Amino acid sequence: MAESIADQTNQLQEERRPRLLAIDDSDLIHKLLRIRLQHERLELHAALTAKEGLRLAKELQPEVILLDIELGDSDGFQVLTELKADPDTRSISVIFISAFSEPVDRVRGLDLGAVDFITKPFEVNELTARVRSTLRLQAAMRMLSVKAQIDGLTGLWNRKYFDTRLDAEFAEARRHNKSLSLIMTDIDKFKSLNDGYGHPFGDVVLEEFSHILSCGRGSDVACRYGGEEFAIILPSTSIESAHDVAERLRERLAACKWPRHDELKVTASFGVADLSCVGASAQPKALVEAADKAMYAAKHGGRNRVEIGECVEPRLRKSA
Amino acid sequence: MRDIVTFFVNDLNDRVSAIGAAVDSDDRARLRTLAHQLKGAAGGYGFPTIGVAAATLERELLSDEASMAALHDKVEDLLQLCRAAMGSKYDSKKSR
Repeated sequence: MAESIADQTNQLQEERRPRLLAIDDSDLIHKLLRIRLQHERLELHAALTAKEGLRLAKELQPEVILLDIELGDSDGFQVLTELKADPDTRSISVIFISAFSEPVDRVRGLDLGAVDFITKPFEVNELTARVRSTLRLQAAMRMLSVKAQIDGLTGLWNRKYFDTRLDAEFAEARRHNKSLSLIMTDIDKFKSLNDGYGHPFGDVVLEEFSHILSCGRGSDVACRYGGEEFAIILPSTSIESAHDVAERLRERLAACKWPRHDELKVTASFGVADLSCVGASAQPKALVEAADKAMYAAKHGGRNRVEIGECVEPRLRKSA
Repeated sequence: MRDIVTFFVNDLNDRVSAIGAAVDSDDRARLRTLAHQLKGAAGGYGFPTIGVAAATLERELLSDEASMAALHDKVEDLLQLCRAAMGSKYDSKKSR
């Protein structure tokens, strides 16, 4: 099963307890939190210094950080500023927790991006309620940000996500000299399907094909590129393997039986490209163009087939 | 809740000795750390007055002009509250 949204959110919600990192220079506070939060569905971590706290934040990616303002080696405002400046830690919810704070401190903390501010000595029940409320809000925000990247009809990743993900995988492959393949595919004569059988049936075809595309290998990223065109990013995959994947998807669609239209055969054309199809200094969109070009070659070659993009650089041979 | 208080009072035992040692060796930085930690935590364990006394001591330590005599007073205030807290624990044990 290819990586899907449901998998991702379930992993977040079920497999692991939310992590809470307390950055406070008093070990008494750590003990207090450990005892009072032991029955909450939380995984607790603690740091006594700003330096250690920042390191753990990056390493553990906690959902929530309880941050003291007065730290021995720095102060909480500085720590928060650093957390917000780092893309890895930016989305962590930070709750300030400080003794005898002035309103000006609370305003400063919230304006720097903290989600809440608790004054010491704190009522532990209130603290846990505020942590729970922060986690709820965060889960809702994450769900929204995932939903904004999902195609409504097919449930696949949308074009926006595709662009971002391809950029990331492209950079990753270049950096570590790994292979990267891309499949572009387009349903054959989709317009006449729509015209002949109605748009609701066209939607059924799109949904069914999307289902086939999303049932590939776990690491493949299936996206709706637009209209009846789809793209699959295949990290660490040679063009030969990508060709095999495309061939299997082609066969599965062609073998589909359609309700009330026993005679109907729906097919798609596939274009496959990898990094050898683009120049050394090419941008990610060159990979899309190469796969697209191969896909159009498949169309011109009679449809319902897979074509491989032209090679501009010697291909890395798969080691046997 | 009693476990938490017991833990805190046991910790106070060590902390009172540490505060005494810091005063004896005139280690202001160490004294400040000990007071600072108490300031934030004591209230959470149900001893807000200790928290306030620790805060007063910490503030005193932050100003360089603080005379050692004035410091001793603040330390003594704090220690007295700590001993009272420790005593209350032993009292409650006795009455059980």
